[in-house]
Amino acid sequence: MPASLGRLTRCAVLTALALALSVAEGLVPLTVIFPLPGLRLGLANLVTVYALCRLSGREALLILAARCLLGSLVGGNLTALAFSLTGGLLALGVMAAALRLPGTSLFGVSIAGAAAHNTGQILAALAVLQTQAPLVYLPPLLLCSLVTGAVTGGISTLLVRRVPAAPFERKSL
Amino acid sequence: MRLPAAERRRPGPGDGIIAALVIAAAVVLLLLLRPASGDVLTATVLLDGAQVGQYDLSGVEQSFLLPLEGTAYPVVIELQPGRVRVAESGCPSQDCVHTGWADSPGEQIICLPNRLVISLSGTDHPDFDAVTG
Repeated sequence: MPASLGRLTRCAVLTALALALSVAEGLVPLTVIFPLPGLRLGLANLVTVYALCRLSGREALLILAARCLLGSLVGGNLTALAFSLTGGLLALGVMAAALRLPGTSLFGVSIAGAAAHNTGQILAALAVLQTQAPLVYLPPLLLCSLVTGAVTGGISTLLVRRVPAAPFERKSL
Repeated sequence: MRLPAAERRRPGPGDGIIAALVIAAAVVLLLLLRPASGDVLTATVLLDGAQVGQYDLSGVEQSFLLPLEGTAYPVVIELQPGRVRVAESGCPSQDCVHTGWADSPGEQIICLPNRLVISLSGTDHPDFDAVTG
């Protein structure tokens, strides 16, 4: 299998996984238990963390963009696309930076990512609604991101440890 | 490419710093956004950034339902003495309905698909002239 085909395949598999995770998460929204708009566990972010750790920043970006585009086709509207892209891109950038910090584990990286995602979504909401009203949701969302980030951080630690990039690359290297 | 964070098994000091930064940001925002408290509770309804109505909740005598006009999906808000909620909405996410009652200054109910914001504010002016839309 040529190297480029291998890369394409693993990106496609991870995109499908991210899409499935975000749809699955939408079926069981956390907001029913705790009514805070925008609150979610951020399972799709696991794929971004994995791609950043085991693939490359470029591939993580491609997977994210494809997931957001396909997600808005499945879920249905342009506003949702603006939201998932601003949140997702901000989270990706912040996590890529946090991964390079000394003394930091995937817990910190995921918390930073969750907080960045929430901030991005609130920024998008500010732009869409054209009032500063959504800012009120940011402090509680940031505090919740400590919990959701820690949960996804724990899962991604396992994921990155147990699923090395090697199975994807055995033939191409 | 070797990333130190990807190989760490246990949380380190960097994680503590990140968590502390997130908490600090939340606390600073909370302080900045602290609402003015007052005796008179006012609900302001914004649609697409424009004010379409303002209701003095302290002056509401009994519960009533108010269908909003001009929204993308049909919305009915319910006003009661001192509180307000979105009773029904045709929007797909239903976040606004799940938010439930808002009853204190600074609280917001947001329906993103409808670009609708209901924000509560408190004032101290007992001679507040209620403007309804």
